[in-house]
Amino acid sequence: MAAEEQNPQQPSGPLLSVKGLSKRFGGVQALRNVSLALRPGEIRAICGENGAGKSTLVKVLTGIVTPDTGTLHLSGVECRFNGPRQAQASGINLVSQELSVCPDLSVLDNIWLGTIGVPFFHRRQHLREQAAQTLQSLGAGNIGLDTPVAQLSTGERQIVEIVRMLARDTRVLILDEPTATLSDQEIGRVLTALRAVKASGKSLLYITHRMSEVFDLCDTATIMRNGEVVADRNIADLDRNSLIELMLGRPLEEMYPSRHANTSVSVALSLRGLRIPKVAGPIDLEVPAGQIVCLTGQVGSGAEAVVRAVCGLVDNATGHVLVDNSPMPLARPEKAFKAGVRFVSGDRAGEGIFVSQPVAGNLVATRLQRRSRMGLLNRMALRAEASQLAESATIDPKRLNSTASELSGGNQQKIAFGRNIADPDTRVIVMIEPTRGIDVGARAEIYKLMRTLCQQGYGILVASTDFSEVLGLGDVIITMYRGAIVGRYTADQATMPRIVADITHPEA
Amino acid sequence: MRSLWNNRTARPYLLLVIMIAVFSALGGDTVLTVATLRSVLQHFATLGPVALGLGLTILARNFDLSVAGVVGLAGCVAVLAGGTYPVVGVLAAVAIGAIFGIVQGTIIVRMNLSSIGVTLGGLLTATGLAYVATGNQEIRLANANIPPIMDDPLIGPMSLRFLVTLAMFAVAAIAVARTRAGRDLLAAGSDPKAALVAGVPVNRVIIIAFMLAGICTALGGALLSFSLAAASPLPLSNTLVPAAAAAIIGGVSLRGGRGNPLGIAGGVLVLSALQSCLTALRVEPFVQDIVTGGVLFLVGIMDGAELRRRLNDVYRRAGRGAFRRGAPSA
Amino acid sequence: MPNAISLSRSSTGTPTQRRFEPTQYARIAIVLALAAFALTTPGFLTEASLRSLLSAMSFVGCVAVGMTFITISGNIMSFSLGASLAASTIVFVATLPLGTWTSFTITLLFGAALNALQGWVIGYLRANPIIVSMAAFSLIIGIMSVITDGNGLYIMGTEAVIFKRNMGPVPGPLIAFLACAVVGQLILSFTNIGRTIMLSGSNPSALLAAGVEPWRSTTWAYSFAGMFTSVAAVLIASRYGSGDLLHGAGFEYSAISAVLVGGTMIQGGHGSVVRTVLGMLIIAILQAILVLRGFSTQYQHLTLGVVVLIVIVLQWKRSR
Repeated sequence: MAAEEQNPQQPSGPLLSVKGLSKRFGGVQALRNVSLALRPGEIRAICGENGAGKSTLVKVLTGIVTPDTGTLHLSGVECRFNGPRQAQASGINLVSQELSVCPDLSVLDNIWLGTIGVPFFHRRQHLREQAAQTLQSLGAGNIGLDTPVAQLSTGERQIVEIVRMLARDTRVLILDEPTATLSDQEIGRVLTALRAVKASGKSLLYITHRMSEVFDLCDTATIMRNGEVVADRNIADLDRNSLIELMLGRPLEEMYPSRHANTSVSVALSLRGLRIPKVAGPIDLEVPAGQIVCLTGQVGSGAEAVVRAVCGLVDNATGHVLVDNSPMPLARPEKAFKAGVRFVSGDRAGEGIFVSQPVAGNLVATRLQRRSRMGLLNRMALRAEASQLAESATIDPKRLNSTASELSGGNQQKIAFGRNIADPDTRVIVMIEPTRGIDVGARAEIYKLMRTLCQQGYGILVASTDFSEVLGLGDVIITMYRGAIVGRYTADQATMPRIVADITHPEA
Repeated sequence: MRSLWNNRTARPYLLLVIMIAVFSALGGDTVLTVATLRSVLQHFATLGPVALGLGLTILARNFDLSVAGVVGLAGCVAVLAGGTYPVVGVLAAVAIGAIFGIVQGTIIVRMNLSSIGVTLGGLLTATGLAYVATGNQEIRLANANIPPIMDDPLIGPMSLRFLVTLAMFAVAAIAVARTRAGRDLLAAGSDPKAALVAGVPVNRVIIIAFMLAGICTALGGALLSFSLAAASPLPLSNTLVPAAAAAIIGGVSLRGGRGNPLGIAGGVLVLSALQSCLTALRVEPFVQDIVTGGVLFLVGIMDGAELRRRLNDVYRRAGRGAFRRGAPSA
Repeated sequence: MPNAISLSRSSTGTPTQRRFEPTQYARIAIVLALAAFALTTPGFLTEASLRSLLSAMSFVGCVAVGMTFITISGNIMSFSLGASLAASTIVFVATLPLGTWTSFTITLLFGAALNALQGWVIGYLRANPIIVSMAAFSLIIGIMSVITDGNGLYIMGTEAVIFKRNMGPVPGPLIAFLACAVVGQLILSFTNIGRTIMLSGSNPSALLAAGVEPWRSTTWAYSFAGMFTSVAAVLIASRYGSGDLLHGAGFEYSAISAVLVGGTMIQGGHGSVVRTVLGMLIIAILQAILVLRGFSTQYQHLTLGVVVLIVIVLQWKRSR
């Protein structure tokens, strides 16, 4: 457990103390009795896979979400926040994982956006100078203060957001995956700046997947899994392997159905020279029929973009995509669908299912054409087909008439899968983050579903940042970094340290 | 020239210059007269406040349909309450506008509802109240001294009504460009989630935006009714469409976060000049409808989210020829 | 505990909807209550007043049926349906010499085409539906003014009488309205295109990701809207004996009010024509009661506005 050192110069007791935080969203318990403490001048890493609850914890700490139970104390004083502004007033500030910059505003305006204490006539010279100085200290002096943020790269936007936080009067800094889109040099400078912050007595909560930064920067680590804290260690007592082990917990084999040997000869999907300008390329890969190929990489690696290009959702993609050896035109979702490509999105509410429609309607949404004659729907046939699909996808048939929004995330994702079962025109199913935000139990069922789909002869291409999922599921695992493929492994060749190393910091 | 066209604020002024050139070519001496200029300024004073109010809400990523109704309601209130002291009438009207804005803004923000639905209700309610208050008749203003005060040239060809409107725009322009509140307004429109996380009190900003919209519109409506010496509820679409057109032409983006009052003023000038010049040329009023509608249609198309993708599609198909199956080439 | 702040304002709002939800019963109950109230109002039951109520309702009702399609498709409302109606009355009268049913068909096709164009621009280019319909309003009025030189067209002969005729005690326009409602609901429930329109309104990105381009259904939704509006145009032109640009002014506001009061949500993605008919009934009866109880016509707009606001707030309360 963490050793509590009492430094007589510092005020005794933790700066930030969180006890018993719990939060449930619909059917998912996102946080379960989470407690942690932060001393002044301590940098604590928060590690865990996707769905471990890290982002929810951050949202509670900054007041974006109110917890069901639990307390938060800052310097011994209990705090309840109703939003980021109140959190800021108490001295907690956040650099979020999803960039919180307003694209239409200038860099300068974004830096001081929402900061308490900025005067009414906010274009003051001293604010301008301070912003320029901080930018300079992070090596980003070349970014013009008056440039609209929309024109900046993702890395530059991230720097702007970090500058915003550094410019504030903060006691506790929270950074959620701050370096995912930064270059090595930029990362170095950010870390130096953060160390300076630590030296001035402030505390940091640092959420990251990047092992090197955990060991480089942090003093302690809290490891979370499935919404709970499973361990609380000094970094000095840890090494990479033990940390990863703590993060993953349950052995891989239990969750993932067994693989089948690749007996197929045909290639369901083949990419040759696929390029997405400024994002990824050239990409060459093959998905054999009946196999699952996992593409993995961090934010900005291009894995997600590649998958979207295959379904025709990227306008400026070039190159060749062949489905069952016939070429398919790019940038036309209709043509991709006709060629046999089916898309299951991790963004269920956004792109996956029709949340306001009943489950049955969702399941047959792509089959309307086939079940209609002269424009009239054969509603009986559709209803029958919907129950069949629900059964195959292990969805409770009693929920067929419920609105999709009432179902849990896991069940909603099953709808998205169910749509593609027993569809004779399907050739390859492509997915992005298929189990994002889904609890463990539902995940196992979904993995089983995916294997079932494979056995029907489809090829499956998955882009996922969930490493254990990638390792446990993929027959072939392809790692990506900054738009290029770094490594290709078969299931037996791949190991977690190798994958993590590939996608965060390839030495080559 | 290209960069000037791309600058959203400069665009309406560029359009204005082009228009003046075209009209002087068409009409010369009949068009470019002081009378026409006065007419332009007066139209500006009528349309401006409504366009500004609507524009402010669009900047915040909302859409206040009720401006068309508040204009009429404010006018009726001003005339009814301003019998003895016109100033009282103006203040009453502005108060009503502010209340309308605050109530609508609060409903939209606290109940997380679409602004179109709520302001549609507001529009109908405002128009209804105007009808009720006036008993569905035209109420005349007793004090005959008021209209000239409103409309007589005060400084050069500019009337009091125009100067007040100009002042409104000036204050709004400074507020949006130089104050924290203005920056927060644009932030709330640009990306409300990001602004919230950064610490901007987005809910408060939006409510204030609606309140200001109500105030601007009401002030404009009050002065208009004084100038007409009568209060009667205005027809709905005749106010709403030009106001939206002025804001859009003025560079305000429907996605929120982009645009400013200076541009809106330009858009209002364009439409006012259009109306005045066409009248001076004795062209039928419906030509104006066509031109306004046409420009709005074009802007709507150009602002379309898919436009670039569709054009890309066409280029792609034209440049590479039809996509043939089995085509090789690396 | 509710979340501190929620910012999603458009289509991520997820209203629950079962086939027979409590609010539907509530609405039916309201209609019955209003009807009872109305029946006890002196003067309501006179044939003349009933007839005029039902006729007036029928004209707007057809437009409301059309507006339903637009709202369900996720495009909120069209500001040009009134202008479309006016233009259609002129087309109808102008083509009457070709034969009653011929001109009827031509008028419907005209209305469909006029709105299909808007729907195409909105769907294919994803242009803002409010702006496009506002622009169309101006353009239609302007262009038709040029063509007609600002004058109305008058019906000379008796070809259009059939649209005025009553079937026994039931006014003709009411039958036309009910026919439109039935056809509209059938399209929504039983056809491929109707189902796709709903999906497109529910989540156009999901539809695209599922391989169907949403713009086709948007174009169809607007075509249907135009078609039903033209039916109203035929009825009005026959009733008043003229085709005129003043017809139908402001109908879109009453139409969208009927849609909203009926319970179709403004975000789109679900709703039905049946609900719109209910909404139409509620508004019509309410207004009739007001008139007969001595409130003059100026209270109509106010009632409309307040009812719309109340309904919107109630819908919010339901979805919490």
